[in-house]
Amino acid sequence: MENDNLRDKALNNINVNVLTNSGSGSQDIFNKILQNEKLLIYLRITLIGIGSTLAVILIFAFFLYALPGLQQLSSGSKAKLSKVSELLDDQAYRKQTSLMQKELHQLSRKYSSFTSGLSYVVINTIDNRFLLYRNKKMIREGFCSSGSYTMLKTQGEKKWIFKTPKGKYWIRGKTTSPVWRRPDWAFVEEGLPVPSDNDPSRWEYGVLGDYAMSIGDGYLIHGTLYKRFLGMPVTHGCVRLNDEDLEAIYNTLSIGSKVYIF
Amino acid sequence: MDNKELTEKSGNRRIPLVLASFAGVFIVYFIIMSMISPGKKLSAIRSEYAIQPSEQNPPDKRLYSDSAYIGMLKEKSFLKAKIAMAETDSVSLALNLADSTANLEISGVRVHSARMTGIRISKILLSGNPETICSMLSRPLNIVRDFATIKKEPLMIKMAPKDTSEFKPDVIPDTSDYEPVNYILETDSGLRIIVYQSEEVNPSDKRRLFFFDLNDRFRTLWSALKDVAVFKIPDYKPYIRIRLPKADAKVIYRAIPRKGQVAVYI
Repeated sequence: MENDNLRDKALNNINVNVLTNSGSGSQDIFNKILQNEKLLIYLRITLIGIGSTLAVILIFAFFLYALPGLQQLSSGSKAKLSKVSELLDDQAYRKQTSLMQKELHQLSRKYSSFTSGLSYVVINTIDNRFLLYRNKKMIREGFCSSGSYTMLKTQGEKKWIFKTPKGKYWIRGKTTSPVWRRPDWAFVEEGLPVPSDNDPSRWEYGVLGDYAMSIGDGYLIHGTLYKRFLGMPVTHGCVRLNDEDLEAIYNTLSIGSKVYIF
Repeated sequence: MDNKELTEKSGNRRIPLVLASFAGVFIVYFIIMSMISPGKKLSAIRSEYAIQPSEQNPPDKRLYSDSAYIGMLKEKSFLKAKIAMAETDSVSLALNLADSTANLEISGVRVHSARMTGIRISKILLSGNPETICSMLSRPLNIVRDFATIKKEPLMIKMAPKDTSEFKPDVIPDTSDYEPVNYILETDSGLRIIVYQSEEVNPSDKRRLFFFDLNDRFRTLWSALKDVAVFKIPDYKPYIRIRLPKADAKVIYRAIPRKGQVAVYI
């Protein structure tokens, strides 16, 4: 407190001198500051504080940014590769390269064999799009709807996560005019009491479109009444398509056709 | 002022000096250890992945400085890694740095392709013996940890309504794309794959990306400090930094599983 008063007095003196005796210039102010020990101490402390902070920042900057760069320098120089012309006439070299080419050809063939020439569909659940392939060529693309990534929780312990599984699947069953058997979550989600397993209210007609294809674990590729949501993640895990795309996929894929979901 | 007082005063002055000297020595020691670490990593790669010459048919050493042969070796490694990944049913990532493509694959089928707009590779991956690096990359790299500015699974929690009066049908999901994309995939071989979005970001996103990067640098520094404190050479992690269009970067991050696999062609 006392220190603050002294500092204020010193500053006031400086201000008064500056206003009344502006002609004497900055030399006087500088002399007054030098004469005021308290002010000098404050200045010194402030300068040491700023200096220390800057030093700490610089040290951290060095370790965080400069050192990784320096590590690059100590990683050696790029390996030098060149076309060794003397090897071209070397029989052993020719043998090694022909062996390598053969091996490459075999590996390449094996790798290509993973992509089927048969029809398959690729479903992109992030952008909610699909791509239909036949003979390794894309023949149709469009929007779809996939899992909403919603976790439905009840007041009790029950919970369901609505997401479309990712990976390789295949068509296990195909149906026309499918009927939806509403699972428990469909009632819970709407605040309805869950009926018994064979209750007629579980069966709903006309909501899955004209076709449905099962990919296992209860997941289907089917149509929808909510076409405005195509291109958005809104489903409970199934893949929804519009009527034309659904028909095209239904007619192109057969049982056993691959479905790649990512 | 008597002698005792003088000694006490000079002792008090000595403490910061000793501390500063100790800090200085530690900093120098830390710098030396950090500079040694890439070399140690390189020799670890060499000893782990060096090609064992067969006794009957030893390879000609000159082959490993022949660009055509190394080119074939790289191709072979990449194919081998991709075939190993294709034998699983999950989503995997194939990075071809030679033609700047990042492909998502499922069982060997390319399901998504993205073009890289920028690539930076740790020097260690280019300075090591090319045949050793090829040998390291001939197996898929398994992702062991990841850090990202976006969520892997943007899960929303919804409480079930108590009755039909609380039920809100047809709620349109929030699909706005506002988060900047930057992530790091750490693999079991120590290689880090760092993905940035190519698009320019606004100032607030820039700040977010800066702190994400700073956080990662602090994590690396902290881990190195822990090693150096117990007189161990810190673990150097080589990296591949790539830039991808934001949408592709997001698709790739969300598609590959947490413990997914990556094949790399350098």
